[in-house]
Amino acid sequence: MRNRFILLLGLIALGTGSCRKDKEQFDGPSLRDLFSEFTLLEPFRANRDSVNFGNGQSLAFSARFNKVVQWNIRIRGLASGAEKVISGQSTAIDAANGLWNGSTTNFPVFQTENCLATLRIDGVKDSFALPVRVTGPKKNNGLLIADFESGINSQWNRFVQSGAAMDFNVKNDQFAPQGRRYLQMAGTVNWDWLIGLIDFPASAYGSGNTFALSTNPDGVYFNCMIYGVPGTNPSLVLFQFKEDENSDGNTNAASEDQYDLEVRVNWTGWKLISVRYSDLPSLVNGQPATPKGNARHNPDKLGKISMLHLADPSAGFASSKIDYLIFTDRPLEP
Amino acid sequence: MPALNSNILLLSAALFTCSLGSLQAQQRKTVEFTGGARSGMTNSRLFTQDSIPDTATVRRQTGGYALIDLGVNIRPNANTEILGMFRIRNQYGGFWGAGVSFDVRQLWLKGVVADVLRYQVGDLNLKQTPFTLYNPHADRLDSLPEIFRLQQQIVDYERFYMRNTWRQQGIHLATGFQFDRYIKDADVQAYITRLQATDFATRPERLMGGYTLRIRQSNNFSLAWNAFSVFDVKGTALDTATFNNTVQTLQLGLRLRKKISVQAEAGTGRYAHNGGTQNFSLNDYFIHARGLWTSANNKFQVHAAYLNVGPDFRSVGAQSKDVRYDAAPAYFNTYANGRFDRPIGLYDQIGNENLYNVSVTTALQPVNPVYNFVLPFGLATFNRVGAYGGINLRLPAGMSADITHHRLSEIRGQGTLMRTGFSRTQAYWLADIGAAAKWKKSLRIRAGIDHQAAQRNSETEYEKIAFSTTRYSAGTEIEIFRQIDLMAGLAGIRSNGNLLVPERDPFTRVTFISPVNMNQLQFIQAAGFRCRFGSGTWLTLMAQASRYEDARQAAPPYRLNQINIIYNMTF
Repeated sequence: MRNRFILLLGLIALGTGSCRKDKEQFDGPSLRDLFSEFTLLEPFRANRDSVNFGNGQSLAFSARFNKVVQWNIRIRGLASGAEKVISGQSTAIDAANGLWNGSTTNFPVFQTENCLATLRIDGVKDSFALPVRVTGPKKNNGLLIADFESGINSQWNRFVQSGAAMDFNVKNDQFAPQGRRYLQMAGTVNWDWLIGLIDFPASAYGSGNTFALSTNPDGVYFNCMIYGVPGTNPSLVLFQFKEDENSDGNTNAASEDQYDLEVRVNWTGWKLISVRYSDLPSLVNGQPATPKGNARHNPDKLGKISMLHLADPSAGFASSKIDYLIFTDRPLEP
Repeated sequence: MPALNSNILLLSAALFTCSLGSLQAQQRKTVEFTGGARSGMTNSRLFTQDSIPDTATVRRQTGGYALIDLGVNIRPNANTEILGMFRIRNQYGGFWGAGVSFDVRQLWLKGVVADVLRYQVGDLNLKQTPFTLYNPHADRLDSLPEIFRLQQQIVDYERFYMRNTWRQQGIHLATGFQFDRYIKDADVQAYITRLQATDFATRPERLMGGYTLRIRQSNNFSLAWNAFSVFDVKGTALDTATFNNTVQTLQLGLRLRKKISVQAEAGTGRYAHNGGTQNFSLNDYFIHARGLWTSANNKFQVHAAYLNVGPDFRSVGAQSKDVRYDAAPAYFNTYANGRFDRPIGLYDQIGNENLYNVSVTTALQPVNPVYNFVLPFGLATFNRVGAYGGINLRLPAGMSADITHHRLSEIRGQGTLMRTGFSRTQAYWLADIGAAAKWKKSLRIRAGIDHQAAQRNSETEYEKIAFSTTRYSAGTEIEIFRQIDLMAGLAGIRSNGNLLVPERDPFTRVTFISPVNMNQLQFIQAAGFRCRFGSGTWLTLMAQASRYEDARQAAPPYRLNQINIIYNMTF
C-alpha cells in the first residue's frame, strides 16, 4: 500500500511536470535579436517605380531581416528637398509598416519630382537606397482658406501698420512649404503689438454667411504652417474664429461666440499647427474667458477668421511666414 | 467525529520554544534584564593594482564602535511576557553626542489566553516553508571556518536572522489540539504583519499574512496546509495600483518504515499588479518531494529529491534574498582614483552587515552568479526542474561528511527556446578531533567545497553558455590554552566562463539579457585568537587579508587587509 502511494506521488509529479508548455516559449527578448549579426534576407524594394499620390496611389516598401531591428526609411525629394521619414522595429518591412501616402515629415511638401528612399538599420553601417518618382503630389481633402498661390484675395480684409521695414506680402521663393507662394509677415511697430492682420470672411468662399464646415466640432481641424525666423522678435500669431450664431452676416464678439488660437512662434523653420475646433478656447487678452454667445463650439456657424500678427513692441523687428490655412476632418498630414 | 480531549492542550510550544519554552521557569521573577554588548575596532588597508597610480583613494580606514543592547523583560503575570530592548551605539571618537545613536531594537508582547491561544504582538521572527515564507541564505557557504562564522553571527544578530526567519512587525497567533482517535493532534498558526507603510500618494499600505494548519494523524503521517499572501490595502493611497502575491501549498510528511521518510510540498503561486498603468499577473506551481533513508546505526543517511518550480512561480516571502548585491558596501566604496565602484567581494559577503536585508522585498533582488546561480533563491528558485540527492556520513574519530549533488535545468529558456542545464556539488567535512579523542581541549578542522556549473550548447555562438564557479573553504580552531582558541581559515572563489543574465523590470519580466564574461578569483585568509569567558562572551583578535581580481572585467584588482578586535557579550 505504501509503495503504491509513493508510486502515485511520483507519477503525479512527473505528470504535472511534463504538462508544462514552456518548451514552446521563452522569456524576454530573443537572443537572436539581441546578439546575432544582421543579415538582409530580402532586399529593400518598393511595389512601384513611380507613384501618383494625387490619384490616391501609395507606395509600399518591403524588406526582410534575420532579426528584429530598428529601421528607418528616409525619402528625399531631389528637387524640393522635402523629406518623409518612416521608422519601425520589426523583422520585416511591408505594407503594414512601410506604406508612404505622399505625406511629408520635414517641409517643404513633395512636388512632382524624383526621390531617393534610403533604408538605414540601427547598428548596421551599410544603407540601402532606392529611387522612386512622384508623378503627382498628395492632395488634402478639406476647406482651403488660403495657400496664397493666387496672392491676396480681394475679398479678404488686410490691415498693415505703418511701421518700419513692413513686409506683409505674398512671396514666391524657395521658402514656400507648399506650392510656390506663402505670406511674409514682418515689420517693426514700436507703439503697438499689432503688426498686421487679415480677415478671412466666409463670404469670400461662396458659402453664404458661414463657412461650409461640419456641425461636429470634434470633426473639424484647423491647420496651418508657420515659419519661425531665427534672430528676430518672436511673433505671436493670433487666430480669431468668430461665429455668426444668428446668421445675420455679422460677427459680434460681445454677443456671439469667438474662439481663439494663440501661437507663440518660438521655433526656427516651418512647423505644422493642427488643432481641433472643439479644443479652441475663448481668450481675452490671452487669458481664458467665457464666450459671449451660446458657449458651444459651432463650426458650421463660423463667419469670419481673423489672423493677427503680433509682437512685443519693445523688442524690435518681428518676422514670420505662414502658408496653407486649411480646415480638415482630421489632423492634417501634409 | 473524534471527540476533543477534555483538557485541550496547547501543542504549539515548538513555535515559540526559543522564547516561551521556559515561561514557567521564569515566573519566579517579574523583571529581568537581557541583551548584549559588543565593541569592535578595525584597521583596514586597501591596495589596488591599476595602470594609473591611485592617488585619490584613502588607503587606510580606522574605526570602531561600542554598543549595548539593553532589554527589559517584564512578566506582569504568569501568562504575559513583555520585552523592550534599546540600543545605544557610539562610534569611537564620537563623544558628547556626536556619533551616538539611541534606538529601539526590539519590542514585543506575548502570552497565552485561557491556556489555549498563544499570541505575540510587535516584533516577530517568522518562517513557514521554503516555498512560502523562508530566508534561505542561499548564497552562504555552510562550511565556513569558525573565524568567518564569528563575523556571520554578527550579521545574523544585526539583521535578526534566526534559523531562516525574517523579522516582521505584527501579530502572531498559535493554538493546538489533541484528539483521542484517528488524528493524533493538530495545530494552527497565523500571522499578519505590516510590510510597508503608506505615503498616502503612490505607495499603499502593504500587509503580509499567512497561516498553517497542520494535522498529524500519527508519528508516521502528517499533512499541512500553508497559505501566504502579500497584499496592498485598497484606498490607502491616491494611486489605485495594487500588488498581490498569494501562495498556497500542501505539505506531506510520511514515514514508511522506521528508517525511511518522505517529505513533500506542492502548491501554486499567483503574483499580480492591478489597477495601475498595466494589469499584470503570473500564475504557476511547484512540486518538491524528498525521500530520506537512515541506516540502522544512524551513521549513514541517503536522500534524494525531485524539484519542479515553474518559471512564473513567484513567492516574495521565499524568494527574497538576504544579501543585496546592488547595495553600497559602505567601506572603500570607490577606488582606482574614484573611477570604479568597488565590486562586492567575499570579504563583504561574509561580514558586511550593510549588504543585508532585514525584511522580505517584493521586488526580485539581483543575483550574483559568483555566489549562486543554480538556486539563487533557495529551493523556491523559479524556472528549475530536476533532482538532487546526497549522503551524510558520521565517521569514526569525530568526523562527519555531507555530500549533495544537484542536477537541474531551466523549464523555460531565457531569450531562446534552448534551456540551460545546471549542476551543483557541495561537500562538507568536519573533524571534531578533540571530542573524539576525549581531550580536555577542543580541536576542530573543517573544509568544504561548492562547485556550480551552467552549460548550454548551441550551434550559434551567442546562445552558448559555459560557466562555473567553485567556492571552497577550510579552517581550524584549536584550544591552545584553557578557553583560548587559535583560529585560522581560508575561503576562495574561482568563477570562469560566460553566462547570460536576465535583467528584469519591476514586474519581474525579463527585459534584457546581459552577456557576462568572467574570470574571477577571490581569496580570503584569516587567523586570530579567541578568548572565551563563558557562554556567548568572547574577545577576539584577528587579521585577515582578502584579494579580488577579474581578468575580464574593467575594474582593476584590489586587496583588502584588516585587523579586527571584537568583544562580544550576551546576557
